[in-house]
Amino acid sequence: MPRARTAFNACSVRFSPFNPSRIAVATAQNFGIIGNGRQHVFEMSPAGMQELVFYDTADGLYDCCWSEAHENILLTASGDGSVRVYDVAAPPQANPLRMFKEHTHECCSLSANLHRRDLFLSSAWDDSIKLWSMEAGGPPSSLRTFQGHTYCVYTVAWSPQHGDVFLSASGDTTVRVWDLRQPGPTLTLAAHAFEVLTADWCKYNDCLIATGSVDKSIKVWDVRQPGRELTVLLGHNYAVRRVLWSPHAETLLASCSYDMTVKLWDTAVQPRPLVKSWDHHTEFAVGLDWSMLSEGLLASAGWDQQVVVWHQAE
Amino acid sequence: MEAGPSAQAFNRLSILSKQMLPVADAQQLSMQTCSAGDSAAYERRTTPLDEVVIVSALRTPLTKAKRGGLRDTDAIELLSTVFKAVLDQTHLDPAAIGDIVVGSVLGPSSQRANEARIASFFAGIPEEVPVRTVNRQCSSGLQAIADVAAAIRAGFYTVGLAAGVETMSSTPMAWEGGINSRISEFPKAQGCMLPMGVTSENVAAKFGVSRRTQDEFAVRSHKKAAAAAAAGKFKEEIVPVKTKVIDLKTQAETPVVISADDGIRADVSVEALAGLRAVFRKDGSTTAGNASQVTDGAAAVLLMTRREAIKRGLPVLGIFRSFAAVGVDPAIMGVGPAAAIPAALAQAGLTTDDIDVYEINEAFASQASYSIAKLGIDESKVNPNGGAIALGHPLGATGARCTATLLHEMRRRGRAARFGVVSMCIGSGMGAAAVFEAGGEVDNLMNARATTGPNTQLSRDAVFDGICDVAGSSQSIIAKDSVHLCSAVLHQS
Repeated sequence: MPRARTAFNACSVRFSPFNPSRIAVATAQNFGIIGNGRQHVFEMSPAGMQELVFYDTADGLYDCCWSEAHENILLTASGDGSVRVYDVAAPPQANPLRMFKEHTHECCSLSANLHRRDLFLSSAWDDSIKLWSMEAGGPPSSLRTFQGHTYCVYTVAWSPQHGDVFLSASGDTTVRVWDLRQPGPTLTLAAHAFEVLTADWCKYNDCLIATGSVDKSIKVWDVRQPGRELTVLLGHNYAVRRVLWSPHAETLLASCSYDMTVKLWDTAVQPRPLVKSWDHHTEFAVGLDWSMLSEGLLASAGWDQQVVVWHQAE
Repeated sequence: MEAGPSAQAFNRLSILSKQMLPVADAQQLSMQTCSAGDSAAYERRTTPLDEVVIVSALRTPLTKAKRGGLRDTDAIELLSTVFKAVLDQTHLDPAAIGDIVVGSVLGPSSQRANEARIASFFAGIPEEVPVRTVNRQCSSGLQAIADVAAAIRAGFYTVGLAAGVETMSSTPMAWEGGINSRISEFPKAQGCMLPMGVTSENVAAKFGVSRRTQDEFAVRSHKKAAAAAAAGKFKEEIVPVKTKVIDLKTQAETPVVISADDGIRADVSVEALAGLRAVFRKDGSTTAGNASQVTDGAAAVLLMTRREAIKRGLPVLGIFRSFAAVGVDPAIMGVGPAAAIPAALAQAGLTTDDIDVYEINEAFASQASYSIAKLGIDESKVNPNGGAIALGHPLGATGARCTATLLHEMRRRGRAARFGVVSMCIGSGMGAAAVFEAGGEVDNLMNARATTGPNTQLSRDAVFDGICDVAGSSQSIIAKDSVHLCSAVLHQS
């Protein structure tokens, strides 16, 4: 399993959608509570993971996200509420290219639109979600702000099939589905009885979402039937920090948790949907990503300053 | 807003630590395996894989009775043509069919049922596959689809063929034998004896549908059908029929291939229709021009569970959602759709606004336009490719024919059409309606490819029997909807 060590606690890991061997890791000192941040870009090679470039920031970085339009553009979400745009091919003095600062509290999630590739969303602990455009020469301010949640919005994610639709998961225990064409959320899902830290769209069924919560469970929902979850995945012993559907298999899900494990689930297998559990982290596992380009490849990042890349078959 | 560093740190710490408070385990809500035996047999839990889906819907051309190209074609030839077409399109092994249900109205009951069985042999369907007919008058083709869907849901079989046929050239509407004298004691029974055109006049009179409204409706039907035919929109649903015609004068027999509907009159005008005489009532409004044509034709629809469709790699054309048949006053039987559509929608949990396309049979312009207005349906959603006034109404086939036209239209519209309705009025005072949902697959399964080597991506239990273990080795077919998901993957593969 190729591994990399980061100087600070790793918070988020993302495979590049363009380059199968490139991976971005957002990190923060002191678990993101106080101190600086550092954004890494690693290159995976037969010799292991080599650091391509890194950027220091004044505050911790909680999430990062590759642009879907340009292979060298990377976004970071910071504890000071700002979103920064980096060009990994540009010289260090040119970076960051831009900064979007509007969130009044920690910005913790970024999502790039797969259809209108200049658009991205950010969500923050100020209970709001903001829509931005990365177009060169575009406005420095957000295109739109989505209010509605009453507590931190931990995760925001565009629907892979519908360029106008996205979901948000919040500590107010709801998951909301929004549509750019509508003024408010099109669905407010009372997903759990406790904070919902993460949610993701199924890549093969545009009506299915998975939600992960502080209550240690993952629930799979059909947005057309929000009254009742389709299935509950139990197995984590602490809060579920991230849940992601596989881009290559309709019923596979990966999750990472404060119980330090990363788990693989298959929703089609009942009654025991848990397929695999990996415990390579020795602290909270908080970052997780599937590779779009290499089928079955996973990456996780933890507060133990480790980034691990492995294949789901291992 | 901005807090001092230590206050901010404290805030972050408190938000994070709230996520770690011990909570009671989330309730276990998923079903447990029953330890009392074979859990698969015990727990019948409907999943999306159990949905009844339509994988093929095809029809013959519709031609005028007694004059058109199919006038000398019997029910056996019509049915076997559509049976074979559906099987050829899906490459389905005919032995997999659990039952064949054929809607048929006017053919003599036992003989028609036998003709349907003979047709199945003509189409290469083995003797193990049973056949039956169903007759709910004008809705028979739709009733056949509903019966197959219900049987699939009941678990009688997983693949069923529904069809409809009518040969009005050789078996016209007729009443044989005497008339029970006690009918006169029951007004509703009397209503059952009224000629269909008289019920149309009753509807026009009772609900104030003027002659002009009816003629304009009829012209729109012809214009829409003509535009659709010219644009080649019927190409996907029509199966040419190889048959013969006997010349009306010389009696010479000629082999022909009939491949187009012949009832459409592109150049019809309101003025031309206004000149026609009302035939069912003096000073009436129903004429040959604003009534459905008498027609020969057949259609077939192949239904199966979604699990079967995935197993066979068949794209889903539509999903069967609901069906309702309701009774109405026989004397105004044309109001049938106005009663049946709300019932079918209620079953599906939908409203008229949720429906993107309607196929409402135009038995008469009077009842069709009344029903549309009564339900407040946007007329632009109804019969976008014309209706029975232009295309014809082969009684037993109509329900299946409308379903084929509807599903192909919805497929052409892609994401713009999610739900569709087929409905018709029924002689003797009923209405029937069914709700279909788009299959969601606007492209045929073209990106699917088999992977070689041992399947390590999916658990054994996740892959359905039949997908794993193709030709003895474990292969799996992984469909990739790459265009929507990630273009980079498409470029790579």
